[in-house]
Amino acid sequence: MTVTETRPSAAGRSQPTPSPAQRLIAMPVRIAKSPHSARVLFPIALFVVWLLSLAAVEEIWPFAVDVLPTPSEVGGFMWDEFVTDTLARKNLYETFFISLRRLMSGFAIAMVLGTGLGLAMGLSRATNAFCHDWTMAILAMPALAWALFNSIIFGFDDRGPILTVILAGIPFVIVNVREGVRNTPRELFDMARSFQVPQSKIIRHVLVPSLMPFMFAAARYCFSIGWKGLVIAEVFGGQDGAGWTIKFWYDAHRAHGVVGYAAFFVIFAILFERLVFEPVSRRAFRWRPQLQTEVVEEAFGEHHEHYGEDHHGEGEAARR
Amino acid sequence: MAEIKIKNLHKEFGTGEDKVVALEDVNLEITGHSFVSIVGPSGCGKSTLLNILTGIETPTNGTVEITSDGHVAAPGYVFQAARLLPWRTVTDNLLFVQEDRSDETKKRCQRYLEMVQLGDKGDKFPGELSGGMQQRVGIARAFSIEPDVLFMDEPFSHLDAITARALRRELHHMWDETKKMVVFVTHDVGEAVELSNRILVFAKGGSLEDDIQIDLPFPRDPADDEVAVAKAHVLRKFEELDLLAS
Repeated sequence: MTVTETRPSAAGRSQPTPSPAQRLIAMPVRIAKSPHSARVLFPIALFVVWLLSLAAVEEIWPFAVDVLPTPSEVGGFMWDEFVTDTLARKNLYETFFISLRRLMSGFAIAMVLGTGLGLAMGLSRATNAFCHDWTMAILAMPALAWALFNSIIFGFDDRGPILTVILAGIPFVIVNVREGVRNTPRELFDMARSFQVPQSKIIRHVLVPSLMPFMFAAARYCFSIGWKGLVIAEVFGGQDGAGWTIKFWYDAHRAHGVVGYAAFFVIFAILFERLVFEPVSRRAFRWRPQLQTEVVEEAFGEHHEHYGEDHHGEGEAARR
Repeated sequence: MAEIKIKNLHKEFGTGEDKVVALEDVNLEITGHSFVSIVGPSGCGKSTLLNILTGIETPTNGTVEITSDGHVAAPGYVFQAARLLPWRTVTDNLLFVQEDRSDETKKRCQRYLEMVQLGDKGDKFPGELSGGMQQRVGIARAFSIEPDVLFMDEPFSHLDAITARALRRELHHMWDETKKMVVFVTHDVGEAVELSNRILVFAKGGSLEDDIQIDLPFPRDPADDEVAVAKAHVLRKFEELDLLAS
């Protein structure tokens, strides 16, 4: 048997280093394609669409101009609210405090009850069979129906909005936790048992961390769905709170008030996501490899921008 | 000195028409600083035997005794996939299977990480390591509890040939240094001949068909004539037992 060996030249293996001019041309493209740019571009695009819509409506239906709010009217309203110069009974901060208190109460109860039920349904087939249809029924019920029902039952105090948050959010917690239990990595439990690790340590270090991604998804859903449910409940069964204040501006026939308050609502939800959920998620899941979506993007031809990177390094192999 | 005694071991899965015999009347003794490989075709009960030895599964009939100097022996396990906790660092994965987190235990874990060339990767998460590195962590984890017997279930079958060969050398070095008993399941006859001083051949249906001693000096080079002859001998046994077709 003959073995022939040919060494490839070093020049053939390495990718050419881009010139400064090439880098300069590539930079704006890279900036335009970055997720940060896309985030900044979204509100700008929204603003432009708003202005164009106003111009189009003015052209087609001139009477509506008095009703449709302009960006400056909404901006002015939001500033007045921001500095507590308001016609409403309670100022922005008092209103959001009231709504947040209700949201957090409902959210906490939904998370605790939903986690307990989800665990029971994931661990026991009989419990799952008993609760499954009810969970699906609650999941299918619109928040509006809960809001109306609870306002009839409880009148205009805190209980109606809080119960609406619980009922709107709890099915998402139950379903996520149940799926988390069903997806627990059995091979890790076997590993722990074969090393004779105590049960309490297995629960703390294997079961709980494996449930965390599902718990986190549950918390996000519960928060956002609960937030929407709360507003509806406050519109129909509240005497204060963000939902009630939106209705106040609606009754006053002030479109800029409705849009401005809804904008506060959106800003609050985004800030909560950015300042609470994202940092906690980054910290809790820092062990996770690179996000799959970025890998898919690379697979569709983005890799040519990573000049001269060694894609075969052993340490990187598992991530790619 | 560690000792394994298996008497009339029988294992079945399912009942009635679905009944499958995984192990049939296995009798076996392993003692001391030996490296025993269990080979055989898929479905011959290799992994089932290992699962029974480690207590993951219970036998239908028969007894298994694993002792060390008259006491119940402490087992270590290296799996086919590394089975690391992805949310814990490499060091924490080793500490997870320890009885305590004392300084002495941490030093011992670090020593075994260094033995598998990963002394500087203690702070990394498993997702940041290659498959070969993860399997090294699995080996270090098993050795770090300083077991009396080490069970290994096809630990290199998921790795490329070059990484697997490097790890085989490291494993052999650690076995030699720590004087542990290793029970190694593999479907690769070449790997079994390279590493073991005893090879147990199992047939489909879970019966122990042959017990081969390999008296060759270590380390063994697969390209060496004597090793090649030993491998051919084991393969001939496979042919005689009609195991190659399956």
